Amino acid sequence: MSVHTEEVEHIGGATTMTFAKVWIALLAMTGVEVLLAYEQVPMMIMLTALLGLSIIKAALIIAYFMHLKFEKLSLFLTLFPMLVFCIILMLIFLGDAVRIPAMRPPV
Amino acid sequence: MSSPSAHTAQHAPHGFIRKYIFSLDHKVIGLQYYFLGLFSVFLGMSLSLLMRYHMVNPNVAVSWFGKLWPTAAAGGVMTPELYLSLMTMHGTIMVFFVLTTVPQSGFGNYFLPIQIGAEDMAFPVLNMMSFWTTFLALIVMVAAFFVQGGAPLSGWTAYPPLSGAGRITGPGEGMGQNLWLVSIAIFCGASLMGAINFIATTVDLRCQGMRLMRMPLTCWTWLVTAILGLLGFAVLLAAGVLLLLDRVAGTSFFLPAGLMINDQILVSHKGGSPLLWQHLFWFFGHPEVYIAILPGMGITSQLLATFSRKPIFGYKAMVYAILSIGFLGFLVWGHHMFMSGMNPYSAMAFSVLTMAIGVPSAIKTFNWIGTLWGGKIHFDTAMLFALGFVSLFVTGGVSGIFLGQPALDLYFHDTYFVVGHFHMIMGVAAIFGMFAATFYWFPKMFGRMMNETLGKIHFYLTFIGVYAIFTPMHYLGIAGNPRRYSAFTDVEYLGKLIPVHQFMSWAAYVTATAQIIFLVNLFWSMRKGKPAPINPWHATSLEWTVPSPPPHDNFAGVHPVVHHGPYEYSVPGAVADFIMQTDPASVRSEG
Amino acid sequence: MSSQVSTAAATSLWEGGRSPYATNSKKFGMWLFIISDSLTFSALLFAYTYSRVSNPNWPTPFHFSPSIIFSTVMTFCLLSSSLTMVMAVHSMNHGKRKAAGAWILATMGGGAAFVVLHLSEWLNLINNEHVTPFENPWGVPLFGGTFFALTGLHMTHVVIGLIYLAIVCQAVFRGKFKAEDVEVSGLYWHFVDLVWMFIFPLVYLMSARVH
Repeated sequence: MSVHTEEVEHIGGATTMTFAKVWIALLAMTGVEVLLAYEQVPMMIMLTALLGLSIIKAALIIAYFMHLKFEKLSLFLTLFPMLVFCIILMLIFLGDAVRIPAMRPPV
Repeated sequence: MSSPSAHTAQHAPHGFIRKYIFSLDHKVIGLQYYFLGLFSVFLGMSLSLLMRYHMVNPNVAVSWFGKLWPTAAAGGVMTPELYLSLMTMHGTIMVFFVLTTVPQSGFGNYFLPIQIGAEDMAFPVLNMMSFWTTFLALIVMVAAFFVQGGAPLSGWTAYPPLSGAGRITGPGEGMGQNLWLVSIAIFCGASLMGAINFIATTVDLRCQGMRLMRMPLTCWTWLVTAILGLLGFAVLLAAGVLLLLDRVAGTSFFLPAGLMINDQILVSHKGGSPLLWQHLFWFFGHPEVYIAILPGMGITSQLLATFSRKPIFGYKAMVYAILSIGFLGFLVWGHHMFMSGMNPYSAMAFSVLTMAIGVPSAIKTFNWIGTLWGGKIHFDTAMLFALGFVSLFVTGGVSGIFLGQPALDLYFHDTYFVVGHFHMIMGVAAIFGMFAATFYWFPKMFGRMMNETLGKIHFYLTFIGVYAIFTPMHYLGIAGNPRRYSAFTDVEYLGKLIPVHQFMSWAAYVTATAQIIFLVNLFWSMRKGKPAPINPWHATSLEWTVPSPPPHDNFAGVHPVVHHGPYEYSVPGAVADFIMQTDPASVRSEG
Repeated sequence: MSSQVSTAAATSLWEGGRSPYATNSKKFGMWLFIISDSLTFSALLFAYTYSRVSNPNWPTPFHFSPSIIFSTVMTFCLLSSSLTMVMAVHSMNHGKRKAAGAWILATMGGGAAFVVLHLSEWLNLINNEHVTPFENPWGVPLFGGTFFALTGLHMTHVVIGLIYLAIVCQAVFRGKFKAEDVEVSGLYWHFVDLVWMFIFPLVYLMSARVH
């Protein structure tokens, strides 16, 4: 960790201070998530909030810690659209999951 | 900015082990994959011959069956369970160790770096590991034959509960199924390594002037196939791990409560869903079949242009069609599940998307015809196989349109109609792609020509033979003949169809025997074939600029510079009827 | 297609002869691996979601103490280890090999703490709460199955990461690895943290016992 008066520039643009800020933000969001788990919120709202926060945390890690924000945009576009596409497709599985409880024979 | 890493050894390796066993050279690795696939295809074919024999002679005692399988074929009569395990291993070995390896890891490994002007793949050590991991997967898979109970019998699709409930569902469902799952998991790792290598190589190691839109279509298909593999095998790995846990750790991902198997109620599992396996498996399974066919399409494009002395008709459309097929390939997995009890609204969506995927395939087919139209066609053996690919792709693809309608699939599902469809497409068209590639690239790989007479005899026997074997399957399906049955003699309406099965079995024996001609041609020509010139087909792509076989670093230290697209045939104003991609002469060229 | 006479000068990044992402192939290769492994974990999370949706009587037994506290501390360990890893890459980029090695050791410390805490949590669940992969007191066996499968596979990746980092660390101290090698190992480590960012809320927090 630098104790100089001027910050050492990270190759590509992020500084040590940026990393520390991202870390604090990640910890803070984790704290919010833990608190949320103990509020009496409906399941779907909780799930949306948790997923939303997790995606933001993931975006911060990917952008800053994994340095993708400072790489060429084409690298991001090569990698992530196909992953997101596949994940969205797999949501179709759940269409069958919701039908199962209604299809079970009575005990 | 760092230049693309090229970890090729500066000097060629010495010693038998470094040169031929643990080689880092993509050409050696490509051949290793090719021969692994060659072994596997003959193993898979033998299994299918045993199956076809049994189907028409279900109660005949064959003494050596009894010697090979004392329990499963006691007294020399094959039990239904043994039939099903032969069927499972036939499908598994063919799909994974032949169709997924040879066109991509075999020919792709050998020729992708050369066609883009690189010295080797981006990660040679990873490349070597991917081959030996595949080899390990094959060993584990074959080991399933030799364990207590034998090979699994749940099909290459391994549907639970049959595959998940353990030994109680059949003899091969003990250790055999576990080994199968471990083998597939290892194979997923090997595929992932290969996919990473292919994508990184294609993006980073193209030589100067080799824009993406100047790559031969083979390189495009290898790239898209690699992307499909990167994503598809990831999901298969997840599915396989969960099924393995169900089997060995007592979990219930795919096993519901209350199943009755062999008069016993399963009490140790609860809460799972067999449908989840189907979703996960087919999410991989559909891109997998495009992995099997796309490189064959690339090779066909390459050969049709070369042997018609014409540019490929509509290069850009062909590229977009390849990309569309790759993309749409992820959207249609539900068409394997129309009869599974899944949400019927999903079925409608999957059906429409399945029809849609016929469009880029049709575009490719019409463009192949457009390439041939008005061309000066040379009917070398390689070209015959490429034409055969087009024919079989159309025949096999058309039956897919029928199957893509849920209303029709209601009837056709689990009949021989499906078996006919996928064998035409995977079991023959893709194989013809491999034959075509063999005849085309043999001179470059071995410095000798294959025998054209033997090649043509082999082609005609095989072409007629496969149509004889697989066309009747469509009629059998329409007549209601179910698949995955070991015998039909006990059911009256099926008994009438036995003569068709007998015809197909005889066609299979003859066609299988004809493959010996290919083997003889292949091995004899390696040693005694006519020495090959550097460019016997007067083709334009980069592999035809280097010696046969190419030196260790492909271009002998030279970095090629590309000035033309890959299909500059019969260009007006040019001296010869082809212009090599590296030719610096600036004749007006397309892209 | 436009006709153009091509010259030797490559103007576009995609002309060939260079990496279009202006970076080394090893990094691109590691990213490709990460995309694929992310999809594997996504498929596993979908299997978990599917199991949970199809079994509406899913238990939510994780008390604040010890389960949620433990897992929150584990999350803190992993997030901090990501920070130390970033500092390791930062140091290596500035040529400070020994500092980089020290930061990698700190990362490994965070990872090791995670594994130790995780294993003790597992032992608590199995021995005291009677939750195993195949049964638990609440009658939905898939609760344990999904829990152990997801966390187990994640932990396997952490352990592999520790081994990987150990190799990189000793190579850095001996001067054998370059900055790009450390960066590539950093990508893997952050990926492991990333997966936990999803497992922690979806598996732990969604099963927290609310009073």
